[in-house]
Amino acid sequence: MTITLKPVAPFTARVDLSGITPALLSALSRRDAEYVQVPHGGRRVGLGDLFFIENAGGDGPLVIEIGDDRLDGVGAGLGAGEIIVDGPVGAFAGMGMSGGVIRIAGNAGDYLGAEMSGGRIELARDAGARAGAAGSGSRRGMSGGVIRIHGSAGPRLAERQRGGLVVVAGDAGEGLATDMIAGTAAVEGSVGPLAGRGMKRGTLLVRNAPELPAGFVDTGRHDLIALRLMARRVKDLAHLLKDATAARRIVGDTLMGGQGEVLVLG
Amino acid sequence: MIINGVEIRDSFAEAFPMVGTRLIITADTPEWAMIAARTTTGFATSVIGCGCEAGVEREIPAGQTPDGRPGVSILIFAMDFGSLKKVVPLRLGQCILTCPTTACYAGMEEGKRVPLARTIRYFADGHQISKKIGSKRFWRLPVMEGEFVCDDDTGSVEGVGGGNFLILARTREAALRAAEVAVKAMGTVEGNILPFPGGVVRSGSKVGSKYKGLFASTNHAYCPTLYGTVESALTPEVGSVMEIVIDGVSFDSVAESTRVGIKAVCELGAESGIVAIDAGNYGGNLGPFHFKLREIMAEDAKLAEVRP
Repeated sequence: MTITLKPVAPFTARVDLSGITPALLSALSRRDAEYVQVPHGGRRVGLGDLFFIENAGGDGPLVIEIGDDRLDGVGAGLGAGEIIVDGPVGAFAGMGMSGGVIRIAGNAGDYLGAEMSGGRIELARDAGARAGAAGSGSRRGMSGGVIRIHGSAGPRLAERQRGGLVVVAGDAGEGLATDMIAGTAAVEGSVGPLAGRGMKRGTLLVRNAPELPAGFVDTGRHDLIALRLMARRVKDLAHLLKDATAARRIVGDTLMGGQGEVLVLG
Repeated sequence: MIINGVEIRDSFAEAFPMVGTRLIITADTPEWAMIAARTTTGFATSVIGCGCEAGVEREIPAGQTPDGRPGVSILIFAMDFGSLKKVVPLRLGQCILTCPTTACYAGMEEGKRVPLARTIRYFADGHQISKKIGSKRFWRLPVMEGEFVCDDDTGSVEGVGGGNFLILARTREAALRAAEVAVKAMGTVEGNILPFPGGVVRSGSKVGSKYKGLFASTNHAYCPTLYGTVESALTPEVGSVMEIVIDGVSFDSVAESTRVGIKAVCELGAESGIVAIDAGNYGGNLGPFHFKLREIMAEDAKLAEVRP
């Protein structure tokens, strides 16, 4: 049965829902769930002070009925199960998650899916800065799983990404894939300036050639079987790669000894 | 048991456990996919001398392969998993990597993992590119022609090797024709390969020899030119014997392939020169899998009887 969190009133401060997962709430009674302490502004309050909790102890997905951009850390650390948010979320949604699914009907703040290692995030609208990136002070960004952004992404998307897949249906802001270590980021719309600086490995899939740093070398247009394979095997890339058989391969950031690639489909 | 004038002898094929895997090879054209498949499965008739047994399982139309190009699936069997892990990357590296336009994919998800590009990626000398999306990893190796795309590994299966039947005919021509018809029919059964040339063995063997150190030697009991001089399994009218050997992913698939093959031979009938169907075994003490011809053909025999 679906576990539901419904805000009691509009939040007066930022709330950190890190670690509030379906697995946690399915193991608790409603009374116990209400006493789970969550950071709220500068102090900690019971989950029951912020939300009406329905069906705690249920085994279904966790639904947050009214989203809010002050709800941080939604699904952070998720290992399994599903979280559905009917509205926007704040920063750090899905940060460090290793499995399960997070579906967000609105926008997301910064660090969406940062350092995640598995699972899937479906964002219906726009993401803030550093989605799929490394957290503040960390050296490595997301290493596995999928972030699907149906709107646009802010600056520094996939910064230091080292695995997994990020797909953006809209545009990506400046500094896309800065210092990317590995993995794949695909952007269907336009790409902001300074993309790919410091890329070591990894792949950027784009429709049109973005403005790239001087360390990128154009190897020309090539027939790539891998595009056909990914179009069929990876459902999230099917739309972008549909019927694509060739791409311009721009390799970099060679000034940093990198062997990453930007594949330009158009 | 007699079907359409062809005697089904009360015998059985004795088969052994083998470990196998499936690869899917694609290429720009069906012809090049088949060239790669035939090359990879070449010199792989018998584990006795080749280290593995391999063959083409079926052609796969474009659109049904992982990259949407025309493909061929092949099966490779070895006596144990350690041997399989050695022979598969060797053949992949020498025969598929080198073949123009090809790519190679896992044809099995289950079972212990057999390395593919995980081994041969080093050919790219540091320029190899890995992609892992979900749980599947594949590699792109820059080559002079463009890029070779290959899955990281493939699964494996504990299968059956050495299923067989013998076609006893009046002439060499009749035996070969029947064997060809059987091979064609058996190609429709998935999960099996016929590892010998064109699917047919003309030199079936027995275990051991009068010569020290020789594991196998000619199956003299079925050699028509020795009839009368040795203890023969033949009758005077038999002028030639052809064997079909089957390796498959399971007992049932080999049994079905055997049934389809024998049925096709029986449909030619005694008037086309077929005398009997027999099978090769070692007395039943060596291989754990026994394919009893009369059990396998029981249903077909009943149907043949009611047919006018």
